[in-house]
Amino acid sequence: MGAFPSTRRRRARRLFAAVCGAAAIAITAAACGSSGTTGTSGNGGAASTPTGGTPINGGTATYALPPSTVPNYIFPFTASSDFSVSNSQYFQYLMYRPLYWFGNGASPTLNSNLSLAHPPVYNGNNVTINLKGWKWSNGQTITADNVLFWIHMLQAVGAADWGAYVPGGFPTNVSNVKATNATTLTMTMDKAYNPTWFTSNELSQITPMPEAWDRTASGPSHCTTTVSDCAAVYSYLDSQSKDLSGWVSSPLWSIVDGPWRLTAFNSDGNSTFVPNSSYGGSPKPRLAEFQEVPFTTESAEYNVLQASSHEGNSNRTIDVGYLPTTDAPTKPANATIGSNPVSNFYLDPLYSWGINYFPLNYQSTTGNGPVLKQLYFREALQYVMNQAAVIAGPLHGYGVPTVGPVGSYPVTPFLSATGAKGDPFPYNPSKAKSLLTSHGWTISGGVASCSNPTACGPGIKQGQQLSFTLPYATGTTWIEQEMTQLQSNASQIGIKLNLEPKPFDQVTAIAAGNCVVAKISCDWDMGNWGGGWTFSPDYYPSGETLFMSGSGANSGGYTNANNDSMINSTLTSSSLTALHNWQDYLSTQIPVVWQPNGVYELTEIADNLRGVVPQSSTLAINPENWFFVNT
Amino acid sequence: MIGFLIRRILQAAVVVLIVTVIVFILLRSIPGNVAVAILGPSSYRNPATLAQFNAQYGFDKPWYSQYLLWLGHLLQGNLGFSWTLDQSVASLLGQRLPKTIILVGFSTIIALIVAVPIGVWQAVRRNKPVDYTFTGLSFLFYAAPTFFVGTVLILVFSVHLGWFGPEAPQGGVVNDLTDWRDLTLPVITLALVTIALFSRYMRSSVLDNITEDYVRTARAKGASRRRVLWRHVMRNSLIPIATLLGLSIPGILSGALITESVFNYPGMGYLFYQSAQKQDYPTMLGFIIVVAIATVVGSLVADILYAVLDPRVRYT
Repeated sequence: MGAFPSTRRRRARRLFAAVCGAAAIAITAAACGSSGTTGTSGNGGAASTPTGGTPINGGTATYALPPSTVPNYIFPFTASSDFSVSNSQYFQYLMYRPLYWFGNGASPTLNSNLSLAHPPVYNGNNVTINLKGWKWSNGQTITADNVLFWIHMLQAVGAADWGAYVPGGFPTNVSNVKATNATTLTMTMDKAYNPTWFTSNELSQITPMPEAWDRTASGPSHCTTTVSDCAAVYSYLDSQSKDLSGWVSSPLWSIVDGPWRLTAFNSDGNSTFVPNSSYGGSPKPRLAEFQEVPFTTESAEYNVLQASSHEGNSNRTIDVGYLPTTDAPTKPANATIGSNPVSNFYLDPLYSWGINYFPLNYQSTTGNGPVLKQLYFREALQYVMNQAAVIAGPLHGYGVPTVGPVGSYPVTPFLSATGAKGDPFPYNPSKAKSLLTSHGWTISGGVASCSNPTACGPGIKQGQQLSFTLPYATGTTWIEQEMTQLQSNASQIGIKLNLEPKPFDQVTAIAAGNCVVAKISCDWDMGNWGGGWTFSPDYYPSGETLFMSGSGANSGGYTNANNDSMINSTLTSSSLTALHNWQDYLSTQIPVVWQPNGVYELTEIADNLRGVVPQSSTLAINPENWFFVNT
Repeated sequence: MIGFLIRRILQAAVVVLIVTVIVFILLRSIPGNVAVAILGPSSYRNPATLAQFNAQYGFDKPWYSQYLLWLGHLLQGNLGFSWTLDQSVASLLGQRLPKTIILVGFSTIIALIVAVPIGVWQAVRRNKPVDYTFTGLSFLFYAAPTFFVGTVLILVFSVHLGWFGPEAPQGGVVNDLTDWRDLTLPVITLALVTIALFSRYMRSSVLDNITEDYVRTARAKGASRRRVLWRHVMRNSLIPIATLLGLSIPGILSGALITESVFNYPGMGYLFYQSAQKQDYPTMLGFIIVVAIATVVGSLVADILYAVLDPRVRYT
């Protein structure tokens, strides 16, 4: 227990400090040098889809689920609380096919080949559905009664327990639903709807259910023939669905009509599927097994992806994963895909079929309602929403502009020629400013105030300032950066946006619903939860849910008689012209502030796995198309 | 001692009850709309479902009515049902708790095994290079954010060297216990911080005791340095560590959110994070009950260990 002489002690201290400093620098260099954003540890993966190789049958493909999402409900008649992509597209659809399948390559249109029925036949108000006669895995044929089973359940409990239920919508708008023979079902619509709309938004909600599910705890029931029996049947099936540990062994859930059946599941979300040999569709699965694995965060998944890419094909842990947008090298503007930092994988951006926007509250009680109702003001605000810069910057090039109420990517027949031209309000602060100044606003001290109420508009007082609170959802980097950019841009023209970062749930509670219809506080001006709207299972973007006067999901309470009339036309006219005319009109009315639709996922696919691309914008996955190749 | 234990248990029950009341009020005070949080923003297309949710779960009643209802269920052993994970809270805790105990328990044990000798060594070799080295490392690991340490370990030892798995064991408890290749990095990540903390306390405690009169007396009576250190100084020096251990029990049960997130390990910490994100009150309350009980138990264990280590301490 002695002590060093003082000189030796000083030298030891200096040596110690040098060693610690070197250690800290080395550790930091190791971390930064291995980060995808500052450099790549290997040669990087392919940016384009590889081709070639000898297809092989069998093998196990492992799919990384999006972060913090796990399937937790197997019964395809799903209530709002469980209505999610992880339950529907990533889980239920693999086993229980919807009557009509939407997704032709990337396009969200009807895919007759994968549907259980031939395209519906419309004759005035009458609809006829002819099933193809495919089989359930227990050998029984998928019949019209199986469809009736679903519709009756919808009639009985849909208002409370079906996540896509819309008051006044399906099945309220049909009557006389009956099975005329084993494979034919007919119904009568309450008016002659646009067939594409009815198929894409109403019939799209149907998933046939097997006869074996028509039961309660005490035995078989009759929901298929008697609507009043359906509530008890629903209750039973709901309770069975909540018994996660019993899914695999359950005699109910093992009856499937999709290409896959579940052979293993744990409550953490790890699922294993094997091919259903009775599947009537095509192609049949070539993989021996398909697995889904959950992840807590994007970073955790990216770590596993990187480890997979380094270990080589034989030790790979994931075959289909995703690259966090923040780790993606910026994509050149004229390229579809940028460079890929992950070796032995190729990159494919996946965009969801939808639009992105944030609502303006026309029913605001803050005093700003009259301002928001002025079209010139909305135009000015839209002109300083620099969608191109947000896409190039925070989104690293992986985003598409929202051009109106119809999604702009993938390009579909639903998009008008005007919409296809791009952002109708490209960044133009000088034009935005002139809109305000020409309507009686004077910019002083950084904020515009109304100096001529007559020009400003009805209900706007002398001296009223353009100052708004804008709560936005935290947790998504590009949204946070976009909001900061918008605040800065808006300040140049005298619009003061007081940003309020809040958790996602608080923003949606404030701003996602029509405050008058939902009877909640109207004390807000704008709100941005970052996600906009995804068209699923209402694939035809006709606008009655989001923009019709009085709709519960018309967040800001936008009301416009001309708009309502044009939307009604889209519901009844079979011509796409009605849809195009409406969207061209509404995109210029700016009922909400259009913002970029960021990429849903930067999918990374193992370079020896084929068939994954093109991915569907409906977000459904089709692992029955996947196969490995020998490279 | 029995009387002491009975009093402490009664106190613990009161503390836990008060905690539940406070937490219940705080949860109900969170801004936002629970129904929208659970059902999703698209539920606004059918506003009737929001009203149905509020009625079903009592949000249309005063908070004290809701609390009494919840307490009544709790006293019958019913912790409620998770609104977002579609399982009973009890089963969720039953799944996640063993995983957390494995991860945090192993890291605590390893930390103890490593930190105690290091702390002693540092004290014996104080102000020498070995002391400075371990002091520096302690400060480094104590200051480094857990996610940073974990990410660096993954990048170096898993992605580049391939020695260990990039994520914690996936699957059941048996797999968690046997898959050492995947368990190593998350355990080390947590252990490094704990080693830093424990070794500092140990060093300080040994230094305090090593200068005591009884040490000088023992040496004067002819006891060897090793005997004095391990037989006399050690026991007294472990008293702060015992306190730390007792107080770390709540941490063992509440999990390590950051480590669980980095290593894709759905334990208790991640469960709480998931439920807090979604305003899943039943799960949050169930979690808090567990942690509150663990805290009072941990405190009691610390007091008992203290009495075991120091015969002068006796409870009546």
